Amino acid sequence: MKGEVSDVKSQLRQLAGSRAPGTDDSKRDLFKKVLSYMTVGIDVSSVFSDMVMCSATSDIVLKKMCYLYVGNYAKYNPDLALLTINFLQRDCKDEDPMIRGLALRSLCTLRVPNLVEYLVGPLGSGLKDKSGYVRMVASIGVVKLYHISASTCVDADFPAMLKHLMLHDQDAQVVANCLFSLQEIWTLEANTSEEASSEREALLSKPVIYYFLNRIKDFNEWAQCIILEMVSKYVPPDSNEIFDIMNLLEDRLQHANGAIVLATIKLFLQLTLDMTDVHQQVYERIKAPLLTQVSLGSPEQSFAVLSHLHLLVMRAPMLFSTAYKHFYCHYNEPFYVKKLKLEMLTAVANESNTYEIVTELCEYAANVDIPMARESIRAVGKIALQQYDVNAIVDRLLQFLEMEKDHVTAETLVLVKDLLRKYPQWSHDCIAVVGNISSKNIQEPKAKAALIWMLGEYAQDMQDAPYVLESLVEKWEDECSAEVRLHLLTSVMKCFFRRPPETQQVLRAVLAAGIADFHQDVHDRALFYYRLLQHNVSVAEGVVNPPKQAVSVFADTQSSEIKDRIFDEFNSLSVVYKKPSYMFTDKEYRGPFAFSEEFGNMSIGVESEETAASSQRVEASDKELLLNTSEKEDKVLSNNGPAYSAPAYDGYLDTAASQVQSDLVSLEPPLPSHPPKTSSGIDLLSLGLSIKPTPAPTAPTLKLNAKPVLDPNTFQQKWRQLQVSVSQEISISPQGVAALANLQSLLRHMQGHSIQCIASGGQSPNYKFFFFAQKSEESSLFLVECIINSLTCKAQLKIKADDESSSQAFSTVFQSALSSYGTS
Amino acid sequence: MPVAASAIYFLNLRGDVLINRLYRDDVGGNMVDAFRVHIMQTKELGTCPVRQIGGCSFFYMRISNVYIVIVVSSNANVACAFKFVVEAVALFKSYFGGAFDEDAIRNNFVLIYELLDEIMDFGYPQNLSPEILKLYITQEGVRSPFSSKPTDKPVPNATLQVTGAVGWRREGLVYKKNEVFLDIVESVNLLMSSKGSVLRCDVTGKVLMKCFLSGMPDLKLGLNDKIGLEKESQLKSRPAKSGKTIELDDVTFHQCVNLTRFNSEKTVSFVPPDGEFELMKYRITEGVNLPFRVLPTIKELGRTRMEVNVKVKSVFGAKMFALGVVIKIPVPKQTAKTSFQVTSGRAKYNASIDCLVWKIRKFPGQTEPTLSAEVELISTIAEKKSWTRPPIQMEFQVPMFTASGLRVRFLKVWEKSGYNTVEWVRYITKAGSYEIRC
Repeated sequence: MKGEVSDVKSQLRQLAGSRAPGTDDSKRDLFKKVLSYMTVGIDVSSVFSDMVMCSATSDIVLKKMCYLYVGNYAKYNPDLALLTINFLQRDCKDEDPMIRGLALRSLCTLRVPNLVEYLVGPLGSGLKDKSGYVRMVASIGVVKLYHISASTCVDADFPAMLKHLMLHDQDAQVVANCLFSLQEIWTLEANTSEEASSEREALLSKPVIYYFLNRIKDFNEWAQCIILEMVSKYVPPDSNEIFDIMNLLEDRLQHANGAIVLATIKLFLQLTLDMTDVHQQVYERIKAPLLTQVSLGSPEQSFAVLSHLHLLVMRAPMLFSTAYKHFYCHYNEPFYVKKLKLEMLTAVANESNTYEIVTELCEYAANVDIPMARESIRAVGKIALQQYDVNAIVDRLLQFLEMEKDHVTAETLVLVKDLLRKYPQWSHDCIAVVGNISSKNIQEPKAKAALIWMLGEYAQDMQDAPYVLESLVEKWEDECSAEVRLHLLTSVMKCFFRRPPETQQVLRAVLAAGIADFHQDVHDRALFYYRLLQHNVSVAEGVVNPPKQAVSVFADTQSSEIKDRIFDEFNSLSVVYKKPSYMFTDKEYRGPFAFSEEFGNMSIGVESEETAASSQRVEASDKELLLNTSEKEDKVLSNNGPAYSAPAYDGYLDTAASQVQSDLVSLEPPLPSHPPKTSSGIDLLSLGLSIKPTPAPTAPTLKLNAKPVLDPNTFQQKWRQLQVSVSQEISISPQGVAALANLQSLLRHMQGHSIQCIASGGQSPNYKFFFFAQKSEESSLFLVECIINSLTCKAQLKIKADDESSSQAFSTVFQSALSSYGTS
Repeated sequence: MPVAASAIYFLNLRGDVLINRLYRDDVGGNMVDAFRVHIMQTKELGTCPVRQIGGCSFFYMRISNVYIVIVVSSNANVACAFKFVVEAVALFKSYFGGAFDEDAIRNNFVLIYELLDEIMDFGYPQNLSPEILKLYITQEGVRSPFSSKPTDKPVPNATLQVTGAVGWRREGLVYKKNEVFLDIVESVNLLMSSKGSVLRCDVTGKVLMKCFLSGMPDLKLGLNDKIGLEKESQLKSRPAKSGKTIELDDVTFHQCVNLTRFNSEKTVSFVPPDGEFELMKYRITEGVNLPFRVLPTIKELGRTRMEVNVKVKSVFGAKMFALGVVIKIPVPKQTAKTSFQVTSGRAKYNASIDCLVWKIRKFPGQTEPTLSAEVELISTIAEKKSWTRPPIQMEFQVPMFTASGLRVRFLKVWEKSGYNTVEWVRYITKAGSYEIRC
């Protein structure tokens, strides 16, 4: 490859001075070769000077190729870039407007900070050029300059020139480009300068808005998108104006460009937010254009539109309930489209259309495509949970169980469980079918957990519940999901309370296995149950299996505040990701080390972790919605009243059942005040276990090294290697949040607690910090990621530690340090 | 900031970069590696066209054997970005003359670089109209009109042309013969249950136009849509003519159509761009004439035999005929042997898609050919799960037939020189997703 490059180099040399006819053609071929090398990633920067030499030509084709080459390599070869300045500046004065424009564009894309001084002159004259093409290039050039050197751009008074141009230029594309540039510059500048922020406000003033609106048809479709976006931020003083704007722009809904349609919809919705009736009418009006956009274009385009339609459907399902047939899936559609459609079908289901929708969903459930089948079943379940008349749906769900496909069965079990929590009256029908399912065929943890929950909850109705549980307990060692093991513990307990004689053996086995379990939660729960039983069986029943009320509404996963924020960011990525933009664009979310030189790599590295985390989060929220397990009853909305009836501790004591139970486990209720030593001697459940008295959980005082040392690279490395050992959300005092305005003081404050900051960043309302601390006398380190949201006064902590055992203690220290901030 | 792109990449299926263009510095140069590692080489590919990796979002789209990837780091306008890609590809196609694939890109990469420079600047889409771009683009011999001209004459302002009243059309076009070709292309989407009831049915139509007209002509198109006709009779205070009228659910127009006039007078009037373009798109859900009815009966006889009978009935006029009719009848994976009898066309078993494929090249109206097949299955012991029957799918084209019943009533061309024009109108109905459950 090297040989070829040097070959090209020598050929270029030969041609540079030649004036023979046909030179240009051979130069063209050579230039093409160079560019093709460049594209495939071969470094051809070594021919830089020869390329520049050869470009002393009037041939525009050659010039263009040369500009492209220069633009690509200048950034990494600033010295060489200096070579090009000369001829680019000359070209900026060429008599051909085309060359002037191209040269100016290349000049602006060199992106070499120490060359900005050469840029100001050509840009200034470019903005005043008589050719629209040059002005168009120059007006975008200004924002490019701003990104290289903001101060140069502002000092040269370019924003003011742009503003003048924007309001007076004949050429619509120039006007549009001025608007793009000004929006960017003033938005960025507004953080530091008040003048800029008032200029930004001025962009949204009535005269400017009307200036653009009146000319809107002069602009091309792309510029229209951005103008409509801008207008959507404008707040008209009275309703007449709102109607005027809507009348003026109504025809935009007919545009073939989906982005314009969406921008118009956003504008209409924003304008009418405070006018409930009109807002409703807007929904009616936009329905047809949106549905058209969905049915046209590539699947990717439909997806972009569907995501927005999805948002609107979720906000006003009633208005779309008659259009449900539009959300039927085609067999060949990609899954991402189908998934959105399913969610919309679920949302619009009401008394009148449920039958059709559920029938359709059942067709999908038989689909060969497994993810699709799963989603469809979930959709049926969700509809069942939101409807009052679930009669037919329950039958359908139970039919799924008879299909004898593992994934269908698994998904259905989870749903049946949720359904039973809401409609206990169906237990009889469901249990009859569920009882026929062999637990051997169920592999998925969620489904297994659901089945186990039902076995425990309906132990009295299912003949062989204890025996099924027993067979599951026998395979305890093979069960890798902690969730399943936790459920197994609880269900065996519940079963034991209902059918003590049959379950006693299993209970013994399960408690033994649980206590020996390496998973902390499983171990703790088993131990907890064991001690409860030791203490008093009826109390244990009151705790583990209290009578419960049916769930009336499952909690929503997303707060309405977040939903509103997404709605405000209509027609952007937020809608597709279903999260507000700060969550994915803010610098602090982009990977922690903005100062790191290997930023690119870093952000990727961190990402894989973040995606993992986010997928967990999705799963978790999914779980919350659908898989609410018995231990999460507190999710039940408070309007149901307390879900637990407070356990009456001694009320049960003399009931016959508890007598029997006590006899069976030969339990002498030990006094609560008994020291643990004696109880371990009695070995109550004849488990053959010796439970060591756990040391009193007095938090070991953690001493931190006052002056730990850690360089950022090591931090980065460690952060990547270590697992999160503590992750929690804490509240901060409003005073602390108020004092956040001065970040330095927070960092000093934390330093006072021997916690050092290694990186910080972010803008209101989100701040992100990386802290570290070191144990005194030991080298073991604690790394903390702390995200503070000043709106909600919440901080999210992620702590990673060399020595995980002390991370809890450190967390306490950290929290107390953080919460004392601002109060002193 | 509603930027549409920070960088754009063209990759082949292996993930090699064919073309890349970085518009903004806010995304790193190695982003394409992230795309390869996190999307192309994983199962993620194709699960969602928008993905976030690091601080960057990736929008990607596959067109023939090329992936087009847009990378942004801000909260970009997704719909705009995808539309941009689609339009850009259409533009490239018009330059290459035909296919857009890896080879075409490799052969035309300098041209693509040139185009990418003009159609987007710093992430903001600029001008994508081929007409105007011809003025800037130097490749393939289309020389800039500026370069040869002396500058003392005021140069025609290219950008003003784009944005003026008729930005999509150059002045001074001359044709010997003035012709307009109008194609109405409809695709019928159908979902029918196994019992023969229509679950969902709609038509999406396009009006495609090819204009070879001199000067600056004004065109007016009349269709037999209900609103347009009512409006017309109102304006002319004449009772509406009886006859079939069509209710369009929704319409979108090419930017050349005067939308204000459409909204007030319900007429489609426009100054067309030169050459080929898509004038309008529409959608209809009511009163769709289905060109074909399919009546399948599939019987599973025990575990190793199946009997398939499919009757297809053409319900359009007897003088018309459909072309390229393909009926795909799914059969289970473990199909061993098939035997057919067809009254028309040819059928064979295609194991790679697990379908019986029945092709009828020319299918006259008002006929009903049938296929009866016997399918033998390999008996498998493990396979106790019943076969989920995918729907029967159908492809066809029916010339001179519109499923919606839409008709062109008139197409008027008016130009100040008053020349005569020849107008050609064609109709064709194609299958969109035409599915019959069985």
